[in-house]
Amino acid sequence: MLQYLSTSGPAVLSALGQHVVLALLPVLIGLAIALPVGYLAHRFRWLYPPLLSLSSVLYAVPSLALFVVLPVILGTQILDPLNIVVALSVYTVALLVRTVIDGLASVPTAVTAAATAVGFRPLGLLLRVELPIAVPVILAGLRVATVSNVSLVSVGALLGVGGLGALFTDGLQRNYLAPIITGIVLSVLLALVLDTAIVGVQRVLTPWSRVGSR
Amino acid sequence: MITFTAVTKQFPDGTVAVDELTLDLPEGKITVFVGPSGCGKTTSLRMINRMVEPTSGQVLVQGRDVMTQDPAELRRGIGYVIQAAGLLPHRTVVDNIATVPYLLGWDKRRARSTALELLERVGLPAAYAKRYPSQLSGGQQQRVGVARALAADPPIMLMDEPFSAVDPVVRAQLQAEFLRLQQDLGKTIAFVTHDIDEAVKLGDLVAVFRQGGHLAQVDTPEQLLAAPANDFVADFVGRDRGIRRLGFRLADTLPVQPVGAPRDSEWVLDLDDLGRPRGWSRRGETASMQSGGGTFTTGDSLRTVLDLTLTSPAGVAVRVDQDGVADGTVDHAAIAAHIQGDTVRVDR
Repeated sequence: MLQYLSTSGPAVLSALGQHVVLALLPVLIGLAIALPVGYLAHRFRWLYPPLLSLSSVLYAVPSLALFVVLPVILGTQILDPLNIVVALSVYTVALLVRTVIDGLASVPTAVTAAATAVGFRPLGLLLRVELPIAVPVILAGLRVATVSNVSLVSVGALLGVGGLGALFTDGLQRNYLAPIITGIVLSVLLALVLDTAIVGVQRVLTPWSRVGSR
Repeated sequence: MITFTAVTKQFPDGTVAVDELTLDLPEGKITVFVGPSGCGKTTSLRMINRMVEPTSGQVLVQGRDVMTQDPAELRRGIGYVIQAAGLLPHRTVVDNIATVPYLLGWDKRRARSTALELLERVGLPAAYAKRYPSQLSGGQQQRVGVARALAADPPIMLMDEPFSAVDPVVRAQLQAEFLRLQQDLGKTIAFVTHDIDEAVKLGDLVAVFRQGGHLAQVDTPEQLLAAPANDFVADFVGRDRGIRRLGFRLADTLPVQPVGAPRDSEWVLDLDDLGRPRGWSRRGETASMQSGGGTFTTGDSLRTVLDLTLTSPAGVAVRVDQDGVADGTVDHAAIAAHIQGDTVRVDR
């Protein structure tokens, strides 16, 4: 084990680095897409059912199938990491659209009505009232998406790009346990660290949600 | 200040919420919109700050048609207090109060110092500034709601059932403080309630609405109780309106008997060395002033005095001067005679 780490350390680190990028980039892209889409569905109620069905269907597409089909759609090479990023972004959007809608719906109508009545305009209302109040719900969804992405990146290893997943394929091919264990431990640790980081962000953003009510 | 001219509001489903409302809200006064649910009182209120837009007719605020104004700008110039306060849960109390100053682009420090002054003004300790709304009781949240409405010092305030979500004791407190505050501020206030007692207690002018968005009567509270315009109003103000009307008559001209005058009762008034009433006694039995009857001043209402005579063991209310020294007594018969002699105004 130690011998493996001492000889393959740099390779493991670069796999970890790739894993972080492949898992996090889609979270950011997905959030950037889900926020406006979720807002539209919140604002225009008729969009809600079709968007929800669409996101459920998208989420149901098997990841491996998506990894294989995307190069055909995007015109990319099968080994292009872009495939993984796009695929995971699709999943993240599918997951977060619902979360954003739920989050905005969690804002009490009495609060938005009162905020409107004291003079907030629609954009100010969204940015300074609705989104801040929706943060706990949205971040809960973001935690799920992030952790799920960390695990899904590994699947990409079957195609040759998969961050820490490459350690699994490597170990399996060589019938060698050390890289597999290293991959598992690092994946779990990564998921834990990212999850904790999001919880930390939430604590900073929502001091109001932690105070005891009387 | 605020004028409704033939204002009608019909909702898309065909319901007419407000029908040809014409009403003037006098400057610096409290006008209460009261009526049963579905009478259009809240819809009318919400047309003042354009939360609801009239189907026809005109709402003028300070001489300008609300429909020609930018809604957000209009609303920032009108204080708004609603039931259950409607505070922003993610902002501290001080930031909630400063909401409108922030929207108006005030310097942050000025907005906060104004907010802190108002916090004190509505009777909350400065230590509450950093709390979040969920850490306050309903009554405290409502005070913050009033402070928020006052923050940018708007000439107009809209209050939509602001005190109906709190318990009766707190409500009475908030009402009294609200009246005191209004005495200093002299805002033009539109106040919605379904509670006729609250309307009569707070209003300078009371507009009684009935189902279908019709105005049934607009009058001063006393006139409303004395001379309801029709059966609907008479029924709505309630059967004990005669007694309640006494609440508007001061005891300043009520004739009293000298304290030592002989009375047809075994109860004797106990006075301390300075002549202040301590209680009633009868053959070793005593009743304190608090538990039996009480004292009044010329500033109290006839209703209060009548109530005192009913709870006093001797059937007598004791009048005191500003030093608390007893200077006269009165019984129910004297009050009845006084009311009888005072011709009841039914001049409509």
